[in-house]
Amino acid sequence: MAHTDSVKASVPSYLKEAQMIKQGAEARVYRGTFLGRSVIIKERFPKLYRHPEVDEKLTRRRTTQEVRSILRCRRAGISAPVVYFVDYTTHCIFLEDIIHSVSVRDHIASAQASEQNPQHLQTLADKIGEILAQMHDEDVIHGDLTTSNMLLVSGAEDQNMKLVLIDFGLSYISALPEDKGVDLYVLEKAFLSTHPRTETLFERLLKSYSASSKKSSAVIKKLDEVRLRGRKRSMVG
Amino acid sequence: MHLTQDLELFPEYTVTQLLFKDVKNATELRKMAVNGEIKGALINPSMVVDAFQILVAANKAIHLHKSGKMKTRSLYSEIIFSLSPTSNISEAFKRFGISDSDSAVLIVLVHNKDETLNIDNIISKVDGQQITVDRVSDLNDVAKIKKLYKVAPQEEKCGSLLDAVVCRMATKDVA
Repeated sequence: MAHTDSVKASVPSYLKEAQMIKQGAEARVYRGTFLGRSVIIKERFPKLYRHPEVDEKLTRRRTTQEVRSILRCRRAGISAPVVYFVDYTTHCIFLEDIIHSVSVRDHIASAQASEQNPQHLQTLADKIGEILAQMHDEDVIHGDLTTSNMLLVSGAEDQNMKLVLIDFGLSYISALPEDKGVDLYVLEKAFLSTHPRTETLFERLLKSYSASSKKSSAVIKKLDEVRLRGRKRSMVG
Repeated sequence: MHLTQDLELFPEYTVTQLLFKDVKNATELRKMAVNGEIKGALINPSMVVDAFQILVAANKAIHLHKSGKMKTRSLYSEIIFSLSPTSNISEAFKRFGISDSDSAVLIVLVHNKDETLNIDNIISKVDGQQITVDRVSDLNDVAKIKKLYKVAPQEEKCGSLLDAVVCRMATKDVA
């Protein structure tokens, strides 16, 4: 029994010393040091409101999907944090900490607040469209596209700006234009509600997406269809 | 000259790495690893990008060892297996372990913090020249590494070769 306790103790006791930076409904996120490097640890804690067997299966599936999607993106050259270690007993993922970065959300907010250089935000929209096109061409659906889940790494010039996608917790693999359309729709909703007066910016993002993706026309068509569904929308064909 | 590091997740252990070139007794060393005379993992440096790669493998192996979920029979063979991007154990030993014709070897030791390690004893068994572990880049074969880990040029847009290798090691079981 003492052995099992010490076995289970390593990651949880390590997490007690780490700095928790966020707690969501699904997981807790910590920052810590791992093998000498700064890391982010995503802990999918047990959900007591679920049936234990269901919880275990679901949590394990979410963890593996997240990790698989990250690897798939990286293989295609899409920036996502490096996975250093996965503990399948506690469902913790140890990821590269993207230091010296700011979320696209904060970046747009501050750029709008200081009202400088609209061209800069245009370039950003182009880059986002490009990276999403690449991701969808790899048949990776992010599942939770928001400007908080995109990081802009500071230091590079406009043309070389580096975008890193994070939080692949709801991601999955799919070739269907419908799924890609919904992915973009989620981003559109999040984008427009978080950043006021950015309709033209988002248009530019979609234009860049269309230009960069080989399969974009079917996806944009689906996006238009999806927009007609949902709350407060008349489904009169 | 050797490299000793701690594992934050397993503070009771320490990992020591020793790198040798111009090794003339690879056959003997292999026998010593098998019969337990050398209690360590003997790794082929041509497949190693950086000492960090070894640490990641050791961390995973120790985790699996502690939770009783190792795929191989010993901690040291598990370290070698953890380096491999595939689940084929014999292939992992073949590619990452040393063979009789090898002239370089990286020895990985895992020991309890309280144990005093007799490093000189191990060094004396190797007929070769010890060099600092950061010089593993002199001995590795980047083309071979890229081929075995299947790293395409496009992946290097988002990170280093080390990033690509470590990511595959960490996600091997589900990818």
